Amino acid sequence: MSSLIWYIYEFARKTWIDGFFDAKSKEDIAHKPDRFRDFPNVIKENCIGCGSCTASCPSPNAIKLIRDSDSEESVGLTYPIINKSSCIRCGFCAEVCPSTPKTLECGENHFIREEFNIIPSKRKYTVDDYLCIRCKKCMDACEVGAIEEIDDRLLVNQSKCISCGKCLETCPVKGAMKGVFVNNLEEQKKIINLAVNTLEEYIESKQDALIQLGTDKLFLDELKFKPIFDKSLSILNDGEVVHEVLEDAINRLKIRIITWDGDDCKKCQMCIPDCPTGAISFASDNDTIVRDKEKCLRCSICYQTCPFGVIKYFLAKFNLDTNDNDEEVIHISVKASQLAERRA
Amino acid sequence: MLKKLKDIVRKSSIHVCIVNCGGCNGCDVELVALLSPRYDLEQYGIYVHNNPREADVLLVTGAVTEQWRDNLRRIYAKTPEPKIVVAVGNCPQSGDVFAQEGGRVLAPVSDFIPVDAAIPGCPPRPSEILEAVLTVAPGALAAKGRAQDARKD
Amino acid sequence: MILPIGPIHPGLKEPLRLKLQTQGEKVIKAEIDYGYVHRGIEKIMEGKTWQKCIYLSERICGICSYEHTQTFAETLETISGVRAPLRAQYLRVITNELDRIQSHLLANSTFFKTLDHETLFMHVLALREYAMDSLELLTGNRVNLGWNVVGGVRMDADERHFNAILENLKKIEDGFDRHIALFEEAPIVALRAKGVGVMTKEEAIKGHAVGPIGRASGLKHDLREEHYTYKDEFDFKPIWRKEGDNYARTLNRFYEVEQSIDLVKQAIENMPKGDIRTPVDIPSGYGEWRNEAPRGEVRYMAETNGDLIKHISIRTPSIMNIDSCAKYMLKDVATVADAVATYASSDPCIACTERVAITDIDTGKSAVKDFFEVK
Repeated sequence: MSSLIWYIYEFARKTWIDGFFDAKSKEDIAHKPDRFRDFPNVIKENCIGCGSCTASCPSPNAIKLIRDSDSEESVGLTYPIINKSSCIRCGFCAEVCPSTPKTLECGENHFIREEFNIIPSKRKYTVDDYLCIRCKKCMDACEVGAIEEIDDRLLVNQSKCISCGKCLETCPVKGAMKGVFVNNLEEQKKIINLAVNTLEEYIESKQDALIQLGTDKLFLDELKFKPIFDKSLSILNDGEVVHEVLEDAINRLKIRIITWDGDDCKKCQMCIPDCPTGAISFASDNDTIVRDKEKCLRCSICYQTCPFGVIKYFLAKFNLDTNDNDEEVIHISVKASQLAERRA
Repeated sequence: MLKKLKDIVRKSSIHVCIVNCGGCNGCDVELVALLSPRYDLEQYGIYVHNNPREADVLLVTGAVTEQWRDNLRRIYAKTPEPKIVVAVGNCPQSGDVFAQEGGRVLAPVSDFIPVDAAIPGCPPRPSEILEAVLTVAPGALAAKGRAQDARKD
Repeated sequence: MILPIGPIHPGLKEPLRLKLQTQGEKVIKAEIDYGYVHRGIEKIMEGKTWQKCIYLSERICGICSYEHTQTFAETLETISGVRAPLRAQYLRVITNELDRIQSHLLANSTFFKTLDHETLFMHVLALREYAMDSLELLTGNRVNLGWNVVGGVRMDADERHFNAILENLKKIEDGFDRHIALFEEAPIVALRAKGVGVMTKEEAIKGHAVGPIGRASGLKHDLREEHYTYKDEFDFKPIWRKEGDNYARTLNRFYEVEQSIDLVKQAIENMPKGDIRTPVDIPSGYGEWRNEAPRGEVRYMAETNGDLIKHISIRTPSIMNIDSCAKYMLKDVATVADAVATYASSDPCIACTERVAITDIDTGKSAVKDFFEVK
C-alpha cells in the first residue's frame, strides 16, 4: 500500500511529468569549451600572404592560399581558405601565423607565445655580407621585420623569419640574399660532386678539339641537362632542391683544363721540380713524362714553366639555360687562358 | 494516406550500421560515445545495430583501405532499400592525412558507393554527428522510400 | 566447423576477422585475420618535419591517441638530449591519466555490452563522458588532443581548469564504488566472466602479453615505474592480479582507473610553477623510447635527419595482446558468445596494429605484418 502511495506521489510530481513528455537531451551537450579548436576562422584583411599556414599543415589538402581578382581601385586580397573535409582541427596554422593580429584563429591556439612559432621550411635565409650593397630593400619588403641592421650589417633574425622568400625576390644583387637548403647536406654534396665530375669528364673527352683551338678563339658546346638531373633525383628525391642546387653549382663552376701534347714533348723535365704536388714524374722505362690527374691542382705552374708550349691551359665556363626546343641544356664555353697571350 | 504512414514509420525508426573501412578509430569511439546516456542516440529512434542486412543508414568512417575495395560494395549491396550513406569524419570524404605520399588509401568513399551526407571533422564531436544525422537521415530516408515506391508502381 | 566473425559484427568495434574452430558450442581454436585498416602511416611520416609528424602520430589510433604523441615527443627529446620542463611533465601526467581513464572505461563498457549487461554498459559510458569533458576543457579536443609538442606542451592550464577537472573526477569517483560492487556481485557477470578465457602467467610470458592484460595474469610490469616523471615525482605502484580471466582483466582496469584518478589529484596538488615548453634543436641521430599506453607498452624507434624524420618504426601493445588472446584465451572457451566477450575483454585496438605492409615480389601478394613479426 505504502509503495502505491509512493508511486502516485512520484508520478504526480511536475518534474517527472515534464521529464516524461520532454525526454530529450539537454542543450548543454552541444556546449563547447573556450579552448575548443573548431575549424580555423579566417580574417582576410590581416593576411600577408606568406604561406606559412600551408607549409605547416599536416593534412595535404586542407588549406590553400587564394587571391581575389584585381579591381580598378585596389589589388585583390590574398588569404587562406580552409577545406573543411580535410582540416584536422589541430590549430597548428593558427599557431604559426606570423601576422599581427593573426589571420587564423582557432580555439585559444592563436594566443600561443611567439618565440615558439616554428615554421617548417626547407630553406634558411641568410645575407651574404660580402655581396650585400646595404640598399635595405629587403628590410622594406619583409612583412615581419625579421631583417635587422646590426653594426652596419644586415642580418636575418631566424626566430622571426617566416621563410616567405620576399627578400629573395626584391634583392637587386644576385647571390646577396640566400635561401639555403639546410637539410640533406650530405645528399646535396653528392649532387654537386656528381655534376662537377660529369662535366669534367665531358670536357676532358674533348681534349683533341681543344688542342687545335687558337688563342683568341672560343670553343662552344652544349650538354643535355636531363641525364644529370635524373641521376641526382635518385640521390635526393626532391625536384625543387635538386634543381636549385644543380643550377647554382653549374653556373658558378669554372673548370681549368690542362692539355698535354705528348708528341711535341722534348723531355727536358723542367716541369717536374716545379710542380707543387709532385703530380708530374718521369717514367724512365718508356721515356715519357707522366702526369697524375688525381694529384694535379691545375695551378698552371707547369704551363708557365714549359719552354716549348707543349702544355696548354684552358678555362671552361658553364651556364644552365633553355634552348629553342624548351629543353634545359648546359652551355659550355672554353677559351685559352689569358696567360697564354702574355707568353705568346 | 498510406504514403504518409510509411513516411512516419521510416522516419521514426532508423537502424544504423557502423562501417569502419580503415580509419584511426577516433570517429568510431565518438559514435560509441553517442550511445551513452549523455547523448542517448536511442531516444531519437535510432538504433545502432551494426548489421548491414538490417540497416537503413550506413555510417561510414575511415579512408578506404586495400581490403575494403570490394567488401565495401558488397556491404552496400546487402543493405536493403531504402538506404542512405553518411560519411562520418574527414577520412571518407578526402582521405584526411592519409591521402598523401606513402599512404595506402583509396579515399574518397564516394568513388565506391553513393554518399548522401558528410560530417566534417577529425573527429567530429558527438553533438555534431547527432545534429547531422538527425537533420539528414529521416528526411532522406522518407524521400528515398517514396521514390522507391514510385518505381514499383 | 569454422565460424567466421567479422569484419562487420555487432560485437566488434573495429574491423577484424575472427575465425573460430568450433565443436558444437565449444571453441577449440581461434585464428585472427588482420589488415582491414592498414593505411601506411609510418611511410607517410618519412621525410616530413617533426612539427607535422606529431599530428600524424596522433592519427595512428583514436583511443590511445595521446600516448602516441607523448612517446613521439619523448623519442625526439632523447635524440636532442632535452627534457620537457617540470610543469609540462606534470601536465603530461594529467592528460595521460585522463586518457587512460577514458580508454579503460570504454574498454570495460564494451566488455559489458558483449556480456549484454546494458545497465553497467550505460553507467560506465556515462562516467567516461566526464573524463572526455576534462580532456576537452584542458586541451581543446575530445579525441585527437593535439596537446603535446616536442619540448613540452602547447598550452598552460590554470586554476580554473584544475578545479573543473577535480570536479569531474569527483563525479567519476562518486559512482565508482557502486559500479565496482555491481560488477563484483552481479550473478550474470560471475557466470560469464569468472573462469572464462583464462591465460596463465606462463602463457602470458610466452605470448608477450603487456599492459592490463598481462598484469591481470600476474605480470607485475608497468612501464610507468621506469618513466622519469613517475619515478621521481609520483607515488606509484602497479596494480596486478593473478587469476588471468575476463573478470580479473576487467577488475584490474577498474582499479587502474581509481589509481589514475589518484595520480591526477597528486599532479594537481603538487603542480610546480614555471615554463611549459623549451625550444629544441634536433640533431641527426637515432633514438627510442617506451611508454605505458592504456593497453600496454608502446615503443617508438626514430631516426632523424635534422628536422626531418628519416625513418620511424612503431610497436604498439595490441598486436601482442590480440595474438595472445587468439592463442591462449580463446583456446577452450565454452560458448561462442563467451568467445566474443573474451575477445572484447582483451581490449584490442586494431587501428594501432596495422602499419607495415610486406609485398611478396614473386607472387605479388600483399600481407600486412607487424614490426614484431618482421624482425
